Amino acid sequence: MRLNNKTIRNYLFYSCLIFLLTIPLFYFAIRSVLLHAVDKSLKSQLKEIRSNLDGIHSQDELAAWSRLDKDIQLEPAGAPIKDTIYSTTRYSPKHGGQEPYREIAGTITVEGRIYRLVVCSSLIENDDLLGSILLVQSIVLVMLIGGILWINQKISKRLWQPFYVALRNMQQFELNKQTDLPFLSSTTDEFNELNKAIGNLFSRNLEMFQQQKEFTENASHEMQTPLAIYQSKLELLMQTSPLSEEQAGLINVLDDTNRRLIKLNKSLLLLTRIENNQYQSTDEVEIAALSKKLVRQSRIHAEARNITIYEELNAAIRVRANRVLMEVLIGNLLSNAIRYNIDNGVISIRTDRNMLIIENTGTYVPLQSDKIFNRFYKQAGQMSVQGRMDNRGYEESSGLGLAIVRNICTLYHYTIDYAFIEGRHVFRLDLHDGGIRQGTGS
Amino acid sequence: MKILIVEDEHQLLKSMVSYLRSENFVCEEAPDYATARQKIELFTYDCILLDVSLPDGNGLLLLNELKENKKTDGVIVISAKNSIGDKIQGLNLGADDYLTKPFHLSELNARILAVIRRRHFQGQQILVLNELTIDLTAKVVSVQRSPVDLTRKEYDLLVYLAYNKNRVVSKNAIAEHLSGDEAEIFGNYDFIYSHMKNLKKKLQHAGCGEYIRSIYGMGYKFDI
Repeated sequence: MRLNNKTIRNYLFYSCLIFLLTIPLFYFAIRSVLLHAVDKSLKSQLKEIRSNLDGIHSQDELAAWSRLDKDIQLEPAGAPIKDTIYSTTRYSPKHGGQEPYREIAGTITVEGRIYRLVVCSSLIENDDLLGSILLVQSIVLVMLIGGILWINQKISKRLWQPFYVALRNMQQFELNKQTDLPFLSSTTDEFNELNKAIGNLFSRNLEMFQQQKEFTENASHEMQTPLAIYQSKLELLMQTSPLSEEQAGLINVLDDTNRRLIKLNKSLLLLTRIENNQYQSTDEVEIAALSKKLVRQSRIHAEARNITIYEELNAAIRVRANRVLMEVLIGNLLSNAIRYNIDNGVISIRTDRNMLIIENTGTYVPLQSDKIFNRFYKQAGQMSVQGRMDNRGYEESSGLGLAIVRNICTLYHYTIDYAFIEGRHVFRLDLHDGGIRQGTGS
Repeated sequence: MKILIVEDEHQLLKSMVSYLRSENFVCEEAPDYATARQKIELFTYDCILLDVSLPDGNGLLLLNELKENKKTDGVIVISAKNSIGDKIQGLNLGADDYLTKPFHLSELNARILAVIRRRHFQGQQILVLNELTIDLTAKVVSVQRSPVDLTRKEYDLLVYLAYNKNRVVSKNAIAEHLSGDEAEIFGNYDFIYSHMKNLKKKLQHAGCGEYIRSIYGMGYKFDI
């Protein structure tokens, strides 16, 4: 539920409550005021009659007077009574039905005889008045509530606009896309403060992200020199003599380990460079030709383990992208297909419309497709599944190859997915959005 | 052969000097831009190894200096940044070759020899190692004047070992040398064993002595 509706709902609830409460309240208040007025008038009438009794000197005169005034009834009474006012209903010949009346009853003495005098006043007009007043009041209240709701709805839409803009900005905010998101300035202090706070948060985040990226790049750079020194000293150590087999074995392990470190460092550097958008230059890259070249280069590695590569690269897929990155992208997929293959295995690389599909034999267990593209993810416990499987593939993996693949895909809006089909690991690279539309010209 | 090594990292400089000295190179050292500039003005070198990032200046500027003074020293640019921009800039400014840190000393040695050979022995580039002759221009290997049919990789392998003769060359250095640019993509170096086996077999068959020795699986050595 939207914030605006929520506040309005509460207002509405309160208004209805007051509305319902005020109707009986008004009813009783107005009614009592009217009754009070009627009572007063009845009392004054009775008083006036008493003061005018001096003019009546006979029984007949009295009877005639009471006959003339329908609102007065006279009857003989035994003893004087106190004046009382009460409500009653009686038949009205004028309207042909029972009607509410207010009456005052008292006694008067004429010529020494006591009479009971009742003065009455119809309340039917009072009820009509009450009805009209309540109707008018209801209309006013409905208009008031309706108007308030309407104005509120109307104003708050405009009033909350900066808030919704800020909200949208936050939803659209992405760390690695440095787009400028304009906020809507407002005359409301709170919104301006909110905008300022969010703006600060954005810039702080971007700054930290930038620092983190720079840190990784700097760290990788700084690592190159010690790695170079280490490697050069190892090579010099190899030249020393005499050199025992044991020493040579140790140097060999150190050399392999150092090579892994160097490779890891280079992969990290590449990853940060892609993220830092440092591969901006683009060329028109012919995917089939590039793939053929990479297959050719990879043959010596495949042949070393007797892996057969089938290529079927017919579709003319052209993309506008950085050539180096495209080489890394396809090369990484191809080298994985070799590395995680079995001896005497098979690789198939083919194009299909806008897709490049690379299939390879390997373990009989599917990879976890949601995790393989994560950094430093290495599928564990798979090495022994296939007897002939070479463990070294896993040991030498930097865990960054597919992360780099995913980053390049993200950069160019390609999609990459993995499936395990009929015992083969299949990577499908969809190059649908490679900027084919722009600048190909010829 | 005189070589100037411009490198601010002391230990790396020492390693290079130590490895190259045994190749009968005379090595001079310049740990900073100012020293390097002085030496370049005063002397002529067969090859200059130039580190790009020096504490007191960009090494690439020395390339301009060389050009202005019409010096013809061979230059190999060495950079810690594996950036293509640096590489292109270096080569455009007249450098002969480009190496990225970290590199193998055997690779550096092979590149220096290649640069010097290109500059000094135009046309006539032949390595003679006893009965084994390598014609670097025609890319032909012969043993006692009869040619040996080698594949491209086997030839590269032999030349690399011959350039680094009498020294142990690690199998990683060989693998990286042979696979070139794609070494970073294809990490598996198993393939060198079969190439090595075939090369040895072919040379032996042609009547060449067994100069190539495996050193405990750590690397290989061309002993002569």
